[in-house]
Amino acid sequence: MKRTHIILLVLVAAAVTIIVTQFADFSTYETFASASKEPGKQYHVIGFLDNTKPFEYDPVKDPNHCTFYVKDKAGNLSKVVFNGAKPTDIEKSEQIVMTGSMDGDAFRCNKIQMKCPSKYQNDQVVVGNAS
Amino acid sequence: MEQVQFIGEHLAPGKLGHFFAILSFVMALFGTFTYWRAAATENKDLASSRGWLLLGRNSFVIHSAATAGVFFTLFYIIQNHYFEYFYVWRHSDLSLSPKYLLSCFWEGQEGSFLLWSIWHCVLGLIVMFTAKGLESRVMTVISLVQVALASMLLGFYFGPDIKIGSDPFILLRTQMQDAPIFSQANYMDFVKDGKGLNILLQNYWMVIHPPILFLGFASTLIPFAYTIAAVWKGEYKQWLKPTLVWSLFCGGILGTGIMMGGAWAYESLTFGGYWAWDPVENASLVPWLLLVAALHTLVIYKATGRSFIITVILMSLTYLFVWYSTFLTRTGVLGNTSVHAFTDEGKALYWHLLVVLCILMVIAVGLLIYRWKGFPRIKTEEAINSREFWMFIGSFILLLGAFQISITTSIPVWSPLAKAITGKDVAPPADVVKHYNDIQVWVAIIITLLTASILYLRFKTSDNKTVLKRLGLTAGIAVVLSAVMAYTERIGDARYITLLFGCNYTIVGMIYYAIKVQKAQIKKLGAASTHFGFGVFVLGVLFSSYNKEVMSINTMGIMMDFGKKNASENARESMENVLLYKNNPVVMGEYTATFLGDSTAENDPRIFYKVKYERRDTVTNQLKESFTLYPDAFVNAKGMEENSMSPNPDSKHYLSRDIFTYVTKAYDPKMKKDDTSQFKSHKVHEGDTVFTNDGYLIFAGLNPNVDANAYPHQPGDVAVSATVFAYNTNGIVDTLHPVYYIRGQYAYQVTDTLKASNLYARLENIIPDDKAVELKIKQSAADDDYIVMKALIFPYINLVWLGVIIMSLGFFLAMVNRITKKEKEKAATA
Repeated sequence: MKRTHIILLVLVAAAVTIIVTQFADFSTYETFASASKEPGKQYHVIGFLDNTKPFEYDPVKDPNHCTFYVKDKAGNLSKVVFNGAKPTDIEKSEQIVMTGSMDGDAFRCNKIQMKCPSKYQNDQVVVGNAS
Repeated sequence: MEQVQFIGEHLAPGKLGHFFAILSFVMALFGTFTYWRAAATENKDLASSRGWLLLGRNSFVIHSAATAGVFFTLFYIIQNHYFEYFYVWRHSDLSLSPKYLLSCFWEGQEGSFLLWSIWHCVLGLIVMFTAKGLESRVMTVISLVQVALASMLLGFYFGPDIKIGSDPFILLRTQMQDAPIFSQANYMDFVKDGKGLNILLQNYWMVIHPPILFLGFASTLIPFAYTIAAVWKGEYKQWLKPTLVWSLFCGGILGTGIMMGGAWAYESLTFGGYWAWDPVENASLVPWLLLVAALHTLVIYKATGRSFIITVILMSLTYLFVWYSTFLTRTGVLGNTSVHAFTDEGKALYWHLLVVLCILMVIAVGLLIYRWKGFPRIKTEEAINSREFWMFIGSFILLLGAFQISITTSIPVWSPLAKAITGKDVAPPADVVKHYNDIQVWVAIIITLLTASILYLRFKTSDNKTVLKRLGLTAGIAVVLSAVMAYTERIGDARYITLLFGCNYTIVGMIYYAIKVQKAQIKKLGAASTHFGFGVFVLGVLFSSYNKEVMSINTMGIMMDFGKKNASENARESMENVLLYKNNPVVMGEYTATFLGDSTAENDPRIFYKVKYERRDTVTNQLKESFTLYPDAFVNAKGMEENSMSPNPDSKHYLSRDIFTYVTKAYDPKMKKDDTSQFKSHKVHEGDTVFTNDGYLIFAGLNPNVDANAYPHQPGDVAVSATVFAYNTNGIVDTLHPVYYIRGQYAYQVTDTLKASNLYARLENIIPDDKAVELKIKQSAADDDYIVMKALIFPYINLVWLGVIIMSLGFFLAMVNRITKKEKEKAATA
């Protein structure tokens, strides 16, 4: 075996190890119910905005605070708290994907992705602080 | 059914365009066949091979002309606003300014494929005249890819379910057959305007960025085609130079195109940065990384005869990843994970792209296996102090880095499989940026450390003493520089200090190399400047992201728990938006920001929000600096939903940093409610104070000498004016002089206003018994006039742009050097 081959093997092994350990970063799509089993852990939840409930956003009180209600794919309703300005057109969204964690009875998220029935081809909007 | 005779349609250009599309497809197919025959008969029957070659050339020229025909026909119908065509109706409108007409091409699926195809034609024609002995084979590959692209524009149906390609000249009434309006002969009377171009694309970066990026994408075909041709022919000398030249061209153009996309994102999107590790961005980055790796192994092969196999593999992977990227971004598989996943074509395109990808893969892998035994190999080991040894490792690291990006980007592709096995529905990392940064920082560290070291080494073997001396000197200077930078820029994280050292090491090393080794000969500086640019670029990335600072921290409101390590980080996370009332200064970092109002310009649907920044000396309160930013937004623009806005940032550029501001929420001035605020009565004595929304007023007394111009003066009037000083938080702003006069039996008032504060003051009455006056003050509710905005500081972001520019110039310098070298050698042999 050549020296290069040995080094390649070592590099590949190292890369595989690093990549596999980074799998822990990967989040999962959950429902409110399954996300509440591990409060504080970051999950993705897909759901639909409940327009019958009020959407609260008062920039005068706090420009970084929205509360609203979302029905997840299992049909369960939950309160959602979003830190940020109210996402444009959220009332018209067909579907929203929220990144955050369960905290008591509310889902706290810092990133919202919406699918809007808009005319645009790139019809998704990300809102939030991907920091 | 009775055939309706429609009125007002222009059907001729559509028919012509569709004819061109079919011609283009047929000629590409014919070109592939004839070029293939030319290649196959090359060694047996030279005369017939020559004949096939001429046929191939002609068909490629006709194919190119036909593709250009499609392009110009589509441009023609867009320019003439023929809204009977679905593409025109959907992607443009009458108000579109001419400079954005071309942008309609890249908003739509068909237009983008067309643009891609056009670039292939241009590059293909150049290759046709320069490829010489490899022409037949290279052009077979190019023509084959053109078949795939031309088929995207066919729009043929096989039965009700199978559709191949999508015709850009389809009529609105065909596309929307079910709408009852299209049963009327005069439906064009109702279709007066199109839906318009996505406002995000109405930006100058979007005019120049897509053509460059597509040229970059298109140019990856050429090194791939040469490589396939070489393997096919089993001859590995002739392809070297053209492949090297084209790879350099491609590296420069694709790199520029990607970072132009970053510049567009920085200037007009509001995720706050130039790079977000978005799947669409990654999709173009991965092929570039692979190409750069391939370029380096190709250089190794040229110099030493080693690393041939990995070069072929990397070249093939580069091109396969170009198509895989197209597959990811165009078919909607990315679904929930991307900001700009294009979705509409769906199933048909999904299979179409998958088939193309498979064909290309079969060709590449098949040839590799077929020729495996005959590949050039060198049995001996390379020396540890040789350039090729470390360059190979560097290329391999790039490959691994590209794989990592690709694995995470492809989560939506493999997650169904993972779900079947583990039962878990895998989603992208909650913090995507951190995920990529954590790994890619190591790739960057290794690459920057290798870069300078490798250029000091020679191929085959080096003089250890010289190398170590140079390395030691470079490292010494870099350590000092890094220590100073880490201290002044407050960089504490060990990983980032290492990266900082890596950058400085590369930068210092390249300067030394350019001056000492290459004797500063411009022609030879390609490699040095590309790597120097890379070092500067990574340094810029490091500074601008590590010390990216949010200025707009809201200090009131509700704090939320975001699972951050400590309270201050949580606070930061939840407070990045700040509410600015009109004329109400808010402290942001070392600045005070004041929202001064909004303005609109004619023929521009945007609304500009005027935000003044001031920096004062903390002790003397002296104004040190003042500037105004105009972040803007499309508010309720045409085609947008009601109450929606699409903001664009504005930045103040300094040499050392940018102050980046954008509006996240604002009222719509067009919809502003009527002024509902009421006058409030205040009984005041001389010297009394009345508080307002943004300051206070002091009544300084009455003045009987009223300026005759202050009100419609008539003889016999008895007039008096009040002197009212208006203050805001910075001090006195203005003096108001409301007038009170008696004409005949009646009392009249003239209101004075302070426009900047929306303040109205009226001297309502004089109460002599009390030595007081009644002032009526009205201030329009400030709640109507506010914006919610974010402000960020990007330190040294100019290094990012500078690095990219130097890097691209380096690529072209290297390319020019390779081309001219070729001519010299030719002259020598002649």
